[in-house]
Amino acid sequence: MTTPRLTRRRFVVGSGALLGATAVRPRAARAQARRGHIIAGLSERMLTLDPANHYSISSTSVLRHVYDPLLDVTNDDKFVPALAESWKALNNTTWRFVLRKGVRFHDGTPFTADSVVFTLKRVRDNTKLIKSFVYQDIDDVRKEDDVTVTVTTKRPFGSLPAHLTMLGMLPPSAGGNEDGFFAKPVGTGPFRFTSWTHGDHVELEANAGYWRSSAPKVDRLTFRFIPELSTRAAALRAGEIHVIDRVWPDMVSTLKGTSGIKVHDVPAVEAQRWHFQLAREAGKDPRVRKAVSLAIDRNTIIKELLLGYARPVVSPVPPGLIGHTNLGQKPYDPDRARAILKQAGHQSLTLDFVLMKDLYPKQLEIAQAVAAMLGDVGVKVNIRNLEIATAREQRTAGNYDLFFSGWAHMPHDPDWYFGQWFTKAGAEKMTRFNDPRVEQLIAEGRVPDPKVRQQKYEEIQKILWEDEPEIWPYYSVAIYAVSDKLRNFEARRDYYVLLHEVAIA
Amino acid sequence: MRAYLLRRLWQSAVTLVGVSILVFVILRVIPGDPAKMLLPEGAPPSAVEALNRHLGLREPLWVQYAIFLRSVVRGDFGQSFQYRSPALRVVIERVPATIQLTLAAMAVTVLAGVPLGIVAAVRQRSAWDYASTVVAVLGQSLPNFWLGIMLVLLFGVTLRWLPTSGFGGWLSLVLPSVTLAAFPTALVARLTRSSLLEILGQEYIRTGRAKGLGEPRVVLRHALRNAMIPLLTVLGLQIGTLLGGAVITESIFAWPGMGKLVVDAIFFRDFPVVQTILILSATIFVLINLVVDLLYTVLDPRIRYG
Repeated sequence: MTTPRLTRRRFVVGSGALLGATAVRPRAARAQARRGHIIAGLSERMLTLDPANHYSISSTSVLRHVYDPLLDVTNDDKFVPALAESWKALNNTTWRFVLRKGVRFHDGTPFTADSVVFTLKRVRDNTKLIKSFVYQDIDDVRKEDDVTVTVTTKRPFGSLPAHLTMLGMLPPSAGGNEDGFFAKPVGTGPFRFTSWTHGDHVELEANAGYWRSSAPKVDRLTFRFIPELSTRAAALRAGEIHVIDRVWPDMVSTLKGTSGIKVHDVPAVEAQRWHFQLAREAGKDPRVRKAVSLAIDRNTIIKELLLGYARPVVSPVPPGLIGHTNLGQKPYDPDRARAILKQAGHQSLTLDFVLMKDLYPKQLEIAQAVAAMLGDVGVKVNIRNLEIATAREQRTAGNYDLFFSGWAHMPHDPDWYFGQWFTKAGAEKMTRFNDPRVEQLIAEGRVPDPKVRQQKYEEIQKILWEDEPEIWPYYSVAIYAVSDKLRNFEARRDYYVLLHEVAIA
Repeated sequence: MRAYLLRRLWQSAVTLVGVSILVFVILRVIPGDPAKMLLPEGAPPSAVEALNRHLGLREPLWVQYAIFLRSVVRGDFGQSFQYRSPALRVVIERVPATIQLTLAAMAVTVLAGVPLGIVAAVRQRSAWDYASTVVAVLGQSLPNFWLGIMLVLLFGVTLRWLPTSGFGGWLSLVLPSVTLAAFPTALVARLTRSSLLEILGQEYIRTGRAKGLGEPRVVLRHALRNAMIPLLTVLGLQIGTLLGGAVITESIFAWPGMGKLVVDAIFFRDFPVVQTILILSATIFVLINLVVDLLYTVLDPRIRYG
């Protein structure tokens, strides 16, 4: 390494630059602090630039940089202001949002209550939009003044703020010509949309006038879509990209062994859940469900197959989210499982265990381990590793006993999970779950009051924990690998790659 | 010739209508619900039903087919379920990457395969011949995914000479095209060798040599030209296959080509995109076959269509 010599000319130039730097305006100072180009490699291809028309994790990772939601959620599950400065439930079915002043879209038009009214009414009324079904409970969205919006709902909708963290705000002008707007969209986010090469990458550039002065920290952001994990990892190891998501446990040691790469992991907002078909002979019998649960050695799965990149489950709702409680780990007791099965007269039981091909890390190995564990207590398991669409059809038709699945609480709120899987209407073509007690508690838990919600969700989970309509084998862990040039990277629990505040050396 | 051409074009049209009906029906018979694949797992059945209605999937099959035919005539091939934009546009966006990869792989195939075959034939049972056999056997037996990953690890990660993946610039073409060309290169080398050997034993070659033609002229001008006929058929079919996409190579190199698009579209039950790709690739196949048949007459003046 050579040491730079301080010459007279360098001294004069350097002092001049220093003087200049102290005299610049704050925005220019921000621009100076902002430099570099981060390239991220995401696991799924982006399908749309419309924030209301997808539930894709990769699309969200990209679009959260272009559009801001009303509320944000932190990695420790706190709901914090974004475009709404504050919000409040006036009663069980009325919410009031006070908006941030002085925010502008990338094209210079101001963000106002009209934007919120437009965005919310659009997602509710255009039922072709993928997110539309979530907002069907909205009755009216009213502009009180330029910075105040009131939302009334048809029934209590306590998880509305949580869902709003997933909905980017659009300018009302998007309404006239949606195709044209989404070809080159504008939001209020820290980055402007530049270009999208379909199937390959998206380019964004810094929004110098972003309302949050601490962001963005880089000039350019590129998201490349690299679905194959080994390819994603190779690009990171070759120094072509700076961050990758969805790393599998068995890739961790390779990445950790590469100089210049750090691996980050964090407990995800996801619980694995293998659900029983409750109308079929095996799943209908609570004793069978209990025996199956007792026969599965969850800790071995976590330790041996997932290499420790998972956490033992103590309640269906993962830690950090409203409703989480500690009900204690489910025991592993094959002897008791055998005794229960014998008592119940199920000496030669066969279960169809359906998997959605290649969806979850190590799922086939895990299913094979479970088959061996259940075989040990006299239950034969047919593993049916089906293509995703076919597996889901089989589930609708009820042709399974146990179904390998997981639930990521993307809004950081469990209402969606309970409402979908433990109400008669939701579970009808899925698990056939039907328990009026649980249904009643779910309805009561929809109110905005967090204390009431916590209490109702605890009650629901006590019933479920006892009844075991599902096996909850482990909470998932989100793993990312990052170049050590990145500063301030936060491994998100919701699998998103958010680079608002990330800088590059 | 003209009557022949018209007859062939008519046959091609009938084939393509047949293909479109077949693809259309098969997609709707296989299990899987497009709306369920678009919506998250937690969408209520009512939302699934509503979306299927929006997508037109609750109409009788013949009405759906009529709507599809109308969209073909209109020129957009219907709306992609996943991308929510015209299916033809979604497919066309992948064409540059697909064509680039196809051309590059074909160039490697011809530039490597034909000389290998010639050398092996001309120097039969020499070290050259055995070396060419080894290369050909390797090319045909190494699985694409393994070869691709090894090339990435060597030239991308370890040596850092070439980009590991992605689409942009000719450098990014090198690894995927070599991976993709491995198999057809081997095929072409073997084929060139065997057909050249057969022709080199013909009497007119002996005549050529007897009248004092130089060896390069005999081999390249007289023998190779005749050996090109079976080669051309194989190359034509290879181009057709490659244009239809190369799923494994595209996956390894995150290459935005047609192969991965069609596989993803099948997984997600994006019917309009699958229909568009299959009908377009059937069209390309039919046309290339036609062109290859016509090229025979150029290469071999004895072949005449009437």
